Amino acid sequence: MQGRPSDLAHLQSTMHAFELACNSIQMHVNPAAAEATILSLGQSPRPYQACQFILENSLVANARFQAAAAIRDAAIREWGFLAADDRRSLISFCLRFVMQHACSPEGYVQAKVSSVAAQLMKRGWLDFTAAEKEEFFHQVKQAILGIHGVDVQFTGINFLESLVSEFSPSTSTVMGLPREFHEQCRSSLELDYLKTFYCWAQDAALSVTNRIIESDSAVPEVRVCTAALRLKLQILNWDFRDNTNAAGGVRSSINVFSAGVRHDNDSFKRSECILVKPGASWRDVLISSGHIGWLLSVYGALRQKFSCEGFWLDCPIAVSARKLIVQFCSLTGTIFPSDEGQTQEHHLLQLLSGIIPWIDPPDAISKAIENGKSESEMLDGCRALLSIATVTTPFVFDKLLKSIRPFGTVSLLSNLMCEVVRNLMANYTEEETWSWVARDILLDTWTALLVPVGAIGGNALLPPEGINAATSLFALIVEAELKAASASAFNDESDSDYLHASISAMDERLSSYALIARAAIDFTIPFLTRLFSERFARLHQVRGITDPTETLEELYSLLLITGHVLADEGEGETPSVPRAIQSYFVDSLEADKHPIVVLSGSILRFVEQSLDPEMRASVFSPRLMEAVIWFLARWSCTYVLPTETSNGNNCYSGHDDEHQLDSHHSSKDFLSFFGEYNQGKLMLNIIVRISMMTLISYPGEKYLQVLTCYQLLPALVRRKTICVHLVALDSWRDLANAFANERTLFSLNSAHQRSLAQTLVLSATGLRNLEASNQYVRNLMGQMTAYLVEICSKNDLKNVSQQPDVILSVSCLLERLRGAASASEPRTQKAIYEMGFAVLNSLLILLEVYKHEFSVVYLLLKFVADWVDGQIVYLEAPETAVVVNFCMHLLQLYSSHNIGKISLSSSSSLLSEANTEKYKDLRALLQLLRNLCSKDLVDFSLGEAADTNMSQVIYFGLHIVTPLISSDLLKYPKLCHDYFSLLSHMLEIYPEMVAQLNSEAFAHILRTLDFGIHHQDTEVVDMCLRALKALASYHYKETLAGKVGLGLHAAGCTDPDGKFQEGILSQFLHSLLQLLLFEDYSTDLVSAAADALLPLILCEQGLYQKLGNELIERQANPTLRSRLANALRSLTSSNQLSSTLDRMNYQRFRKNLHNFLIEVRGFLRTV
Amino acid sequence: MSDEEHHFESKADAGASKTYPQQAGTIRKNGYIVIKNRACKVVEVSTSKTGKHGHAKCHFVGIDIFNGKKLEDIVPSSHNCDVPHVNRTDYQLIDISEDGFVSLLTENGNTKDDLKLPTDDTLLTQIKDGFC
Repeated sequence: MQGRPSDLAHLQSTMHAFELACNSIQMHVNPAAAEATILSLGQSPRPYQACQFILENSLVANARFQAAAAIRDAAIREWGFLAADDRRSLISFCLRFVMQHACSPEGYVQAKVSSVAAQLMKRGWLDFTAAEKEEFFHQVKQAILGIHGVDVQFTGINFLESLVSEFSPSTSTVMGLPREFHEQCRSSLELDYLKTFYCWAQDAALSVTNRIIESDSAVPEVRVCTAALRLKLQILNWDFRDNTNAAGGVRSSINVFSAGVRHDNDSFKRSECILVKPGASWRDVLISSGHIGWLLSVYGALRQKFSCEGFWLDCPIAVSARKLIVQFCSLTGTIFPSDEGQTQEHHLLQLLSGIIPWIDPPDAISKAIENGKSESEMLDGCRALLSIATVTTPFVFDKLLKSIRPFGTVSLLSNLMCEVVRNLMANYTEEETWSWVARDILLDTWTALLVPVGAIGGNALLPPEGINAATSLFALIVEAELKAASASAFNDESDSDYLHASISAMDERLSSYALIARAAIDFTIPFLTRLFSERFARLHQVRGITDPTETLEELYSLLLITGHVLADEGEGETPSVPRAIQSYFVDSLEADKHPIVVLSGSILRFVEQSLDPEMRASVFSPRLMEAVIWFLARWSCTYVLPTETSNGNNCYSGHDDEHQLDSHHSSKDFLSFFGEYNQGKLMLNIIVRISMMTLISYPGEKYLQVLTCYQLLPALVRRKTICVHLVALDSWRDLANAFANERTLFSLNSAHQRSLAQTLVLSATGLRNLEASNQYVRNLMGQMTAYLVEICSKNDLKNVSQQPDVILSVSCLLERLRGAASASEPRTQKAIYEMGFAVLNSLLILLEVYKHEFSVVYLLLKFVADWVDGQIVYLEAPETAVVVNFCMHLLQLYSSHNIGKISLSSSSSLLSEANTEKYKDLRALLQLLRNLCSKDLVDFSLGEAADTNMSQVIYFGLHIVTPLISSDLLKYPKLCHDYFSLLSHMLEIYPEMVAQLNSEAFAHILRTLDFGIHHQDTEVVDMCLRALKALASYHYKETLAGKVGLGLHAAGCTDPDGKFQEGILSQFLHSLLQLLLFEDYSTDLVSAAADALLPLILCEQGLYQKLGNELIERQANPTLRSRLANALRSLTSSNQLSSTLDRMNYQRFRKNLHNFLIEVRGFLRTV
Repeated sequence: MSDEEHHFESKADAGASKTYPQQAGTIRKNGYIVIKNRACKVVEVSTSKTGKHGHAKCHFVGIDIFNGKKLEDIVPSSHNCDVPHVNRTDYQLIDISEDGFVSLLTENGNTKDDLKLPTDDTLLTQIKDGFC
């Protein structure tokens, strides 16, 4: 950088200004101006000389940092038109800089410069020849091998770290390039360099190990070794894809899928454990080189030194070494030769023997931690067990330890977990302690062992010794949970937020407990039965004498645990009996003596006592009932009236079939006990009685009623086999009758009434035939429609309606109707249509009367939206016309009440409430319109006339809704989403209707479109672009065919002042080009933007030419100008682009636009 | 307007009740409730329990609809609360007089002239602009 004196002076002054800015930003003196100075350097054309000057000469570290950032910004932007030499010299400058200043104390500047080098390297990766890359890497290799000393060695490793993270898609920085670029870089690095880097890191580590082991205090080499270990860890964390040994061409396509599968496994709860699958080519480096032995010996040597100065359990090098060891435990895949797992077993055994001292003997370790030793080594040991469990089967896992200890690994795991649970029991606190963390990791380990990847729901079998271990562990776990329960029985200060979080955490934990319990099923079921009967007996003894709260809380826990053990979560499906329980075989062949039957029976008998008022008052607290209802919901899904197939098919889903035959018999026997011809109906009857009782006898217990209304009852009506019996039960008839004809259930929360209505209507599917089902619904809802109609026909409605009791009953009725409407099924559709039809007029009256009562209006709109949603697909043309007309009236009435309404309130919180209400209403309206739209997606049978009718009402709806939608309201993401999806749908399907809109509505729609294009949410922008494409292509096609298309809207007009106003398509061409060329957006949008841009250009060719020329003329630099001109030319001419709007042409244009933007955006944005 | 007017004490006057009993558990946010003899709009409802195995209670935060003051109450959720009968009347604005009073048209054709313009500036301009 030797320049003439004047140059030098100029550089000096730039540097001073820059330093000043950097300093003032740190001191907070006029930060805006300082920031502008700093940014301007990066944005100016070719600032490299100045930046390099600053880097080399400035004494202000912050200025050097910013200068490096400026190099990065400018180079990434200008990369396209930098000469090859310039590109290379920038990278080698950065590399040289970090090497030369390796011992500089400002680590962050070093890190920044090396990351800049890494980013530039990646930017040019696909252009550089192999020899050019070799040249850079030679330099790096020299450094890493330690030729230039320890500091340079560290710097070299550091550079590789930046490089690897830059090439890994999840950590790469944005470069404004398409995803394919990043993908190509990734696979190129993985194939050609990653292993080499790993070897370098290994060599670097080896070269310093001896020095570290020999010395008794921290030496500089420790830093190098730590960095090398970190780099290795990072490389092993790489998302390896090209690892199958399948040949050539097929490979990449297979890997796309295998990558997807792996992702699924990861997301499956064990987020902590990532499998490492580097593939066969890594075998020599990782497995056969004795690498593991070296690593373990290094850590072993470090362990000896923890007493020395400069080393301790959590010092960076120890942490990195441990992490690497844990990472090695999850090594799997084709890296191991196919020798029936021998190499892998050997590998794991070697690791395990290194890890054992961290966790064994558990009691001593736990004691040491209690006495102040750091727990991190023990936790890492647990993580290693988790990794090993993930990559092995239970048998292999257990066998591993047997060669070095008298017991298996499962026993060790169990002992370790027992120790942790004991520690938890001893120090019961709400805070997270090490034993919490350890427990969670170990529970994950059990899950990994017991639910092998791929087999869903099945339990893998443990070896006999492992079953014993699981037995004692489960007993201890239950003991601990019960103790915790009785200890916490009197705490009630915990606030509800925390409670919810801990409930879902607890659910996860209980599922893991259940897996352990099922592994030792022979022990578990009698054990739980005993615990229950002890507590029942105790309750009876103390009833009325002492406070039973502790026992109640214990029962609460036991019910939760037992529910998890006996049945799986259905998540909307019908869960089958868990495999461990299906294969649970006992000698006794009588069904009613089967342990599962005994346990379920004793719980059910106990629960039944809640029907007795006296028992209810003294024993069944609301909280206990919550557990009861939860248990009944979960248990009844699996056991009550089991479907015949559930014990046939599901048995064979697993892999090991040896137990299949006997298990089949046993499960069939005991399941039949709960069946149709045995106790099934009786149990169902009890369950319905109990649920009805919770709704009536526990007034105001919201959470209990939520469980009944949203979990238990819906679970019952989900299966048709149960519905058949339900509708025949007296108890169910009582419930329906109470709902239809009595006042009691009106005191339920209105949302619960909705769900109850839905449940009751759904149960109608259990009736014999269509007519009976419809009649059932009519009987159920007839009273309500009649009542609603009656209210509306009152003369003094206007006065009466405002009374709170009337408002309450109207709200409840509307909620009930809505519940019934949302239960629309083909069988009951007719009755539900009649139900809605009966109240149509009343709804309009109510909308008028309650125009100021937000909550009622909202319920009303929601009911109509749900009703239309459920009905529209079934309706014939005349019925459709009725519905459409009604909706039109509804919309008119609603808008007449709400346009221009101002809320006047003295309290700001009430004001914001009013806003929220409005938002909710509008969403309901948009939903209604969208539901109406769905008719033209499913039904092509309607005639032309009905079709236009439909589009008219929706356009009319848009007419009404759009003025209500303000830019404030569009800030609500859901509303914004709904609105634009409706808009784009409409413009795509009925563009011809747009032309007919009046100019005001039209302008409003376009204003919102313009707003949407500049929205941050890419999905919204995408929808707007689709709408725009539809609009422009419609106009183009129409005008080609000699019609008017959008007519006046597109032509533009002269406004009263004589100024010419552009047509709307020109406006959008303008703003879209502006967006594409000069603003920030996600690259994902380019394709959608291309689809919109093409028809716009075709419509407005003249304007497009003009804009293009303006762009070119604005460019002062002649090289850039010719580049831009060429790019613009090829945008519209390359790839045989024609002027038609077919699929091929759209595709070509997308490609063209992508290339165009890569070519020109870099320099256009700086101007 | 004096505060006394809005109290709901059981005066022995005949006529329709000004409140209606409703179970506390069913009163929701944005509904109305009487707290300490004042009619309030409910802005917050939360539930809690007396001890783990006790019964649920509702905690209401209400805003007095007349003076905007915040009031709170705790009621067992199975008990009844008083819900006030809140009336609202719409008037059409027919004039704004120079002294800051508005002239309103009532439903039976009379005018109501005893209300002042609001003091809040934005609201004031909104009304004035809307009227013009």
